[in-house]
Amino acid sequence: MRKGGSWTALIVGALSISTAVAGELRLLPEQVQLTGSEARHRVRAFRFEDGFAGPVEKANLKSGNPKVVKIDSAGTLIAVGNGETTVTALASDGSKATTAVRVKGIDVPHEWSFRNHVQPVLMKGGCNSGACHGALAGKGGFTLSLRGYDPEGDFFSITRGARGRRVEVANPAYSLLLTKPTAATRHKGGKVIDPNSRDYRILAEWVAAGAKGPTDEDARLDHIEVLPEQSLLKVGDKQPLIVRAHYNDGRVEDVTHWAKFTSSNEVVAFVDDKTGIVSVVGHGEGAVTAWFDSKIVIARVTSPFENQIAESVYSKAERRNFIDDLVLAQLNRLNLKPSPRTNDSEFIRRVYLDTIGVLPTAEETGAFLASKESNKRGKVIDHLLSRPEFVDYWSYRWADLLMINGRLLRPEALKSYYMWLRGCIESNTPWDEIARQLVTATGSSLENGATNFFAVNQDPETMAENVSQTFLALSINCAKCHNHPLEKWTNDQYYGFANLFARVRGKGWGGDPRNGDGMRTLYVEPRGDLIQPRTGKPQIPAPLDGEPLTPDATDDRREHLAEWLTSPDNPYFTRAVANRVWAAFFGIGIVDPVDDLRASNPASNEPLLASISDHLAKSDYDLKSLMRTILQSETYQRSSMTVPENESEERYFSHYYPRRLMAEVLYDAISNVSGVPGDFNAVKLQDGSEQKTEFYPKGTRALQLYDSAVSSYFLKTFGRNERAIACECERSNQPSMVQVLHLSNGVTVNDKLTKKESRASILAKDTRPNAAIIEDAYLSCLSRKPTPQETSQFEKLFADTPEAEKQMVVEDLFWALMTSREFLFQH
Amino acid sequence: MFDFLADHRANLCGGSHLSRRQFLQAGVLGAAGLSLPQYLAAKQAGGVKPGHDQRSCIMIFNLGGPSHIDLWDMKPDAPSEIRGPFKPIRTKSPDIDISEILPLHAKIADKFSLIRSCYHSGAAVHDAGWQIMQTGRRFTGGINTPHAGSVASYLMRQRSDLPPFVVLPELMGRGGGNLPNGQAGGFLGKAFDPFELLADPSVENFNVPDLLPPDQIGAARLERRRTMREIVDGAVRNFEASEDARLYDDNFAAAYRIMTSPQARSAFDLSKEPKKIRERYGMNRVGQCMLLARRLVENGVRFVTVNTFLTVFNELSWDIHGSKPFINVDQMKGEVAPMYDQAYSALIEDLDQRGMLEDTLVTGLCEFGRTPKVNPAGGRDHWPQCFTVSFAGGGVKGGRVIGKSDPIGGFPAERPVTPGDVVATIFHSLGLDPNSHLPGPAGRPFPLTDFGTEPVKELFA
Repeated sequence: MRKGGSWTALIVGALSISTAVAGELRLLPEQVQLTGSEARHRVRAFRFEDGFAGPVEKANLKSGNPKVVKIDSAGTLIAVGNGETTVTALASDGSKATTAVRVKGIDVPHEWSFRNHVQPVLMKGGCNSGACHGALAGKGGFTLSLRGYDPEGDFFSITRGARGRRVEVANPAYSLLLTKPTAATRHKGGKVIDPNSRDYRILAEWVAAGAKGPTDEDARLDHIEVLPEQSLLKVGDKQPLIVRAHYNDGRVEDVTHWAKFTSSNEVVAFVDDKTGIVSVVGHGEGAVTAWFDSKIVIARVTSPFENQIAESVYSKAERRNFIDDLVLAQLNRLNLKPSPRTNDSEFIRRVYLDTIGVLPTAEETGAFLASKESNKRGKVIDHLLSRPEFVDYWSYRWADLLMINGRLLRPEALKSYYMWLRGCIESNTPWDEIARQLVTATGSSLENGATNFFAVNQDPETMAENVSQTFLALSINCAKCHNHPLEKWTNDQYYGFANLFARVRGKGWGGDPRNGDGMRTLYVEPRGDLIQPRTGKPQIPAPLDGEPLTPDATDDRREHLAEWLTSPDNPYFTRAVANRVWAAFFGIGIVDPVDDLRASNPASNEPLLASISDHLAKSDYDLKSLMRTILQSETYQRSSMTVPENESEERYFSHYYPRRLMAEVLYDAISNVSGVPGDFNAVKLQDGSEQKTEFYPKGTRALQLYDSAVSSYFLKTFGRNERAIACECERSNQPSMVQVLHLSNGVTVNDKLTKKESRASILAKDTRPNAAIIEDAYLSCLSRKPTPQETSQFEKLFADTPEAEKQMVVEDLFWALMTSREFLFQH
Repeated sequence: MFDFLADHRANLCGGSHLSRRQFLQAGVLGAAGLSLPQYLAAKQAGGVKPGHDQRSCIMIFNLGGPSHIDLWDMKPDAPSEIRGPFKPIRTKSPDIDISEILPLHAKIADKFSLIRSCYHSGAAVHDAGWQIMQTGRRFTGGINTPHAGSVASYLMRQRSDLPPFVVLPELMGRGGGNLPNGQAGGFLGKAFDPFELLADPSVENFNVPDLLPPDQIGAARLERRRTMREIVDGAVRNFEASEDARLYDDNFAAAYRIMTSPQARSAFDLSKEPKKIRERYGMNRVGQCMLLARRLVENGVRFVTVNTFLTVFNELSWDIHGSKPFINVDQMKGEVAPMYDQAYSALIEDLDQRGMLEDTLVTGLCEFGRTPKVNPAGGRDHWPQCFTVSFAGGGVKGGRVIGKSDPIGGFPAERPVTPGDVVATIFHSLGLDPNSHLPGPAGRPFPLTDFGTEPVKELFA
């Protein structure tokens, strides 16, 4: 044995070890503090480059002082005696890295804590999972709180339930708490804890020490961290993770063994739920979520595509603004090639549809294509942002989120709600101001349309859920009954949040939303609280993780909520709306789905989302400014044509992703191109009956409707948002056979074509050569001229048709154009 | 032509390396099932067993979660707060007692068998149950597994111009959740989603919406339109990498086949049925959907899902919480159960009389059962821990009871059966080998059923 202790080979299970890569060797974590004789902490060596860890590195470990810390064969540090030392890792190429270790409290008698040790063991064993004793009704007469959110209740159930048979202090091994999970007595859940494990010892020693309950003096978990935070790996690599819990008494413990792991993108990486070892199976960026005691942390895994791309592709790529920098950086990291810039015809069609929801006219397209101005794209963008159709389109989109729905509101109230929203969009009211007006609204439903936000959900719980869903893109519903299983939200936070709305009242609320004239008055009572059912007491009102309010203050609690909601310190508010705007232009959010911003659903490009959010906050929530920045970016203006080096990706914005036009935009495009507007004159109510409406004069476009309940087979079939819940996910752009049958055979296209005022009928009488008619039809439908080949093919079909049937052949030309994917899709 | 089993990436969601022509072939067939050579390859590889060429499945999905204790797993000896208001009656099978509110079931009890020990460990919410029961696997984030009908239409040969997988009358709607609910193709791709009828076959002059071109479009114009569409659509290549866009093309091809097929048109035409038969099924949506399901199977559809109800909110369903917006026990007794009793017994009888029952599996599924204890509103709440499912035809021997629940219907007491077992049983009846593989996400081979799941073979013995 050499002087100073022996080297321990760091063996990490059956991990495959990649060949050594360049980069600085680091031993993680770089500082370890071991408190007490039971303290353990694993260390792992990685090579780092640009902040990314490579695959775990085979290394030998040596303790600087075995009287302070020793190292077992699995690479775990074990406290031996008080003092400080270092642990050194020696890699096969001779490079070294160290971890500073401090051991203290070795002489203090060790006690396991119910809250911080026993509960995690039960969690890891799955005892308190929803399928077992964590179910609302428990299992086999034994009930635990779901994933241990209620330590006091669980302690009671363990020590006092079943007439105390669950713990035998005098003879711990006979406790049901130990005989059941080891399957020593009959246990339906089978054997979940090994009698030779440390977990068993924790439970046994806790019982033996008197089975003490949770106390107010217990150290509380502050946050958790994961190491390494980001790794750059290859398919086939396996990467171990370390999860550390930081307690408010300063202790930091290795809780990897008790953490629960899930992969957010199993196309890129799997994770072993028990060990936290990540296996890379595909290309792209994935994330692994570690959950411990209602805290969440994310480890990112990057696995570059196997393309050969010259560095100059990125360094010489066009960049308009920060969006391009951040997208290109990611493409570079992932070895994905950006598609080139889109051509002018595609651009003008795309930017019209995405910004104002209408097709450019043949004249507008012609002028744009002919223009030689260098900044003509920028000019079109500015022009569109100030068009009146911009107001129609964006009012419609936000109305989806705000549930402006004739099945929930009477016509006059519905109109007032819509007109309020429309006014906001027209004056480009900043988003934080829109949010503030909505959540603090009071008064008459007809005079202040914003009050109807609360009329569609009239109890405090649903109000809270909807505010969260709408403005934070967070679903907190799970926390109504128990701590959110995938998130950090607790049951107490839910009720604290809901209690902010406990005093909101509506004169005339309740009953069937269809009754009466829709005139309701929203006011706020000076007192009243929502009871937290678990405790039977009101929960102190607080906005989720914000500061609690004084419960007996009589002012409107929603004012406080609005402050917290729109504060620059609230990360969710800005990210939620920035991500929604982004998704409106790209068809996919940076976080996707856009209604799901929980921490365990990470962004595909976090710096990008952070930067557009920052941009929005700095521009005082001017949504148009964010839209302009997005539209001007080279990223937005890329072709939808893939290149071989990016064709399989749909997350990192290397090209524009074709998507079917949204139902209303498609309907309007069909009306517009055919020259025959639609009719919207009835509303379909909850019970299926129809009611006439006179809100919409002839010529009203689908995007100008206030209401999602307006009867329309077309809009329903093409997946409009029915606005029954506050979720953009209610809208579907999925193709289906039913849609195809409707386009082919249904009234929408066919009836419009045969009308005598239709564009097809007019062009059929046109005396110009057929080529001119064909070109007109192409320009209006597809915003491009036909190719010479297309022209000649159609000219031949025209020539083969008798003059008497010209109307029909022109109709068929339009039908073919309007059912082509080039028409149906945004591209 | 590609070998779909040898190359797992050659599927519709990951087919970017296929040429357009290959894709079109794969896609058109995809939307309409396998081609003969593919089918034969699948058969050779053990994907489809011999002797099952004519097999089909009608999956009845009882939205809301029928009360097993009030219907097909009665507990007459339990205390009154458990046993509820109804009494069991004897049936044509000595082994089956059934609720007095299902008298027509009693007369055909020799034709169907019940599994009284089904359970699942998903959340007690409707959507979770739909998802887990129709795909056989619980969604835990990430991988969205396909409906059993999508798997069948992927693996089984197309028997006609009709789509291989149809849902009547439409997909189940909002159930309160926001996760995949197992009614579609999942990772197999949207090409294997079901064809949705989107109409109520019980209304007068019922027609499949837009099945036929307008009168003025004759065969010649239809053909000209198709030619023209191909001219336009072939011009740009921007869509090759987009699954949605490729699928639109496939849908156009498949739609063209349906529109131009007399058999397909006639299959949907309920007016061809004698009035007596229509009335035997019941002149309501549930009854006429069951009848239409029979016609579709008769005309070559492989898999039909009949959703007896569409939502639990403010409409009829099996969701007897006893308080609004859900239904109560009286509504179940007076409306829901009689309607189902009539339609189900008519379907089984009809299939039997036509000699179709041997090749048509009819399974009655649901998202969960209901609480053993009657709640204060006189209803019962969600209970996935134990419930009953039914099987008839498709090789299943009738008149049996498989498995047993405990004395209050709270948990399986014998022979617990999981959703994975239920779906494996469907595959078994259809002749699909549960040990074969599907092309999963990112080309990873994905077993038809999970390790540990088994068909309930006692049903067939």
